[in-house]
Amino acid sequence: MTETSGRPRWRPLLTATAVTLTMLLAGAAACGPKGNAPKTVDDLFKKTDVYGQPKIKIGVAEDQPLMGQIVNGRFEGFDIEIARYLAESLGFKGDSRIEWVPLQTEDRENALVSGQVHLVVASYSMTPDREKEIDFAGPYFATKQELLIRTTDRDKIRNLNDLAQPGRETCVVGGSTGERQFTDRALKVYPAATNRECLERLLSGKSHAYSTDETILAGYLSEHPKDLFIVDVPIGANERLGVGVSKQDPELRDLVAFFLRKSYDTGRTTSTSPWLAAYRRTLGPWLGDDTTQPPIDAPDLVDYDEKAPKP
Amino acid sequence: MTVAGEPGPPPPRKRNPWRAGQGFWTVAVGVPAVFSVMRLWIEAGGELQTTLLLVANVGPINLMAALFTTATRLVTTGLVAVFALGAVLAVSTAGWPRRRPLFARWYAMSPPWFLAAVFAIALATWQILYLPLLVVAAVAVFQRELAAVEWPRWRWAATIAVALAGYGWLIAPTVLQAWRAGELFAVALLVVPPVLALGVSGPLPRWLVLPAAALAQPGIAVVLLIAAVPVVLTPVLPMTVTTVTTQAGVPEEVRGHVISTDDVNTVILQERGGVRYIDNDDIAARVLCPTSEELVRYRLRVRDFHVEDSLLGALGRRVRPMAPVSAVCRIPT
Repeated sequence: MTETSGRPRWRPLLTATAVTLTMLLAGAAACGPKGNAPKTVDDLFKKTDVYGQPKIKIGVAEDQPLMGQIVNGRFEGFDIEIARYLAESLGFKGDSRIEWVPLQTEDRENALVSGQVHLVVASYSMTPDREKEIDFAGPYFATKQELLIRTTDRDKIRNLNDLAQPGRETCVVGGSTGERQFTDRALKVYPAATNRECLERLLSGKSHAYSTDETILAGYLSEHPKDLFIVDVPIGANERLGVGVSKQDPELRDLVAFFLRKSYDTGRTTSTSPWLAAYRRTLGPWLGDDTTQPPIDAPDLVDYDEKAPKP
Repeated sequence: MTVAGEPGPPPPRKRNPWRAGQGFWTVAVGVPAVFSVMRLWIEAGGELQTTLLLVANVGPINLMAALFTTATRLVTTGLVAVFALGAVLAVSTAGWPRRRPLFARWYAMSPPWFLAAVFAIALATWQILYLPLLVVAAVAVFQRELAAVEWPRWRWAATIAVALAGYGWLIAPTVLQAWRAGELFAVALLVVPPVLALGVSGPLPRWLVLPAAALAQPGIAVVLLIAAVPVVLTPVLPMTVTTVTTQAGVPEEVRGHVISTDDVNTVILQERGGVRYIDNDDIAARVLCPTSEELVRYRLRVRDFHVEDSLLGALGRRVRPMAPVSAVCRIPT
């Protein structure tokens, strides 16, 4: 390797070049390249409106069993579990750090635009119309619109055509995406203010059917398993539920998407994740175990667990 | 002075063969001690009373262990740099009648076991991204031993070809990933050193030896000083966030380093400065938190080992794969 006898005359020059280049490379490494660093979770978090706030304000539904409702003074449901996971990921651990803001369906956009809430996690369908006013992070759930009827009507109402008969009325929540599916088919609808109003109209016999996302219907079915029945008919396309965020806070939207994506990745590789845990505790027993978190586009951010082995 | 009162010639300067060795060990022992004190001083935010509080509560064993954990990389980098340059200078000045450069003398007097130990520790503790540079240094330092291996030329060529092919297989996906991400410096760090290793052994041109020694020796010292700054700034105590209950009912988070705990109080050196004495009864929770310096610069992996991990760290992550970060750590305090 290094015997000096019989060496070509250019060999010392090669050594000098190699030593010089090594020292330059090592010197540059010691000083450390600073530019072009990847975006971190902390970078984005410091730019959000929630940074430095004592509590995060989250808009939720309070009348949707299995999704978002108050039980014994405490919010419970799938949306609530997802909201708690997102809040905790953002540094707001525990309900003492969360201000739950009950919202009606038609108030959700206004609450975000006016700054009343930072996030809305309330069975919020991602639609182009809404995306003109607010941003969505998601989807975190893919659901479809179905029909809820009284068990006694099982033989009478089997599809949408059965609702076209005179005198039959379907209740929908005003302003919800489901309303248009019925008005477009010239079916008689009753636009209620809340989901609970629709349920009461259905139970009392004023409405013959109640249509909305299967997640909400599953909640009411869980409350009245003997009196109600879900008709599995296709109504429109699948609904994608997302987390609503103000357009003024794109960093918060990116962070929420990042944490939802993190849950999705964990669930795919380990068969357990915050999303799966929330689903199994709430919707799972009523919708079945075959539902999984839908894939989601999210920014690639660096966090403190970056060096951990990839599962 | 002579008896006659006339000035005589100055006494000859003693040339103690151990002098260079003494210098080396003085540096090896003295630098960590000085570093430890400097770190406590900086940790205290420059406040005398806080420094004294830290000195009173941080034991010398803890301090040295913390220093070893955080400064091993710097120390081995310094030693490897000194020995690599020393080896090149030693080979270049073999048979010189005059005094050889300092690094060459340090290299010459270091036993092979010591050199091997330094390289073994460096291999375990350096970031994976910089390990290719260690290969160049190893070839330079152990060139005497390599030269003693009397292999035919074809056997050397075959061994080097196999080694390069194996290295290429190991890092090819990472290099491709780095190239696509535009991380050209990372590409250079992975690709260039093995090529340089082929040419680094052997003497320098005679006319270059003295200028090289005159420039490179202080140059290495300067670069090491620059690299030492983050090490001096690294905290000695772990970062925690302590949740304290208040009379208003809203909990308060105190981010800082726990200096001591007794039956009554917990003393916390706050991240932004200042010492808090907190009643133990008011403490609701405490979590360990990472600091922003631990965030990675690259998103590259060599066979699932992150390039900014050491081999030791990467193996540790296999034992404890999860590194949960508490949400409280993100709250500004």
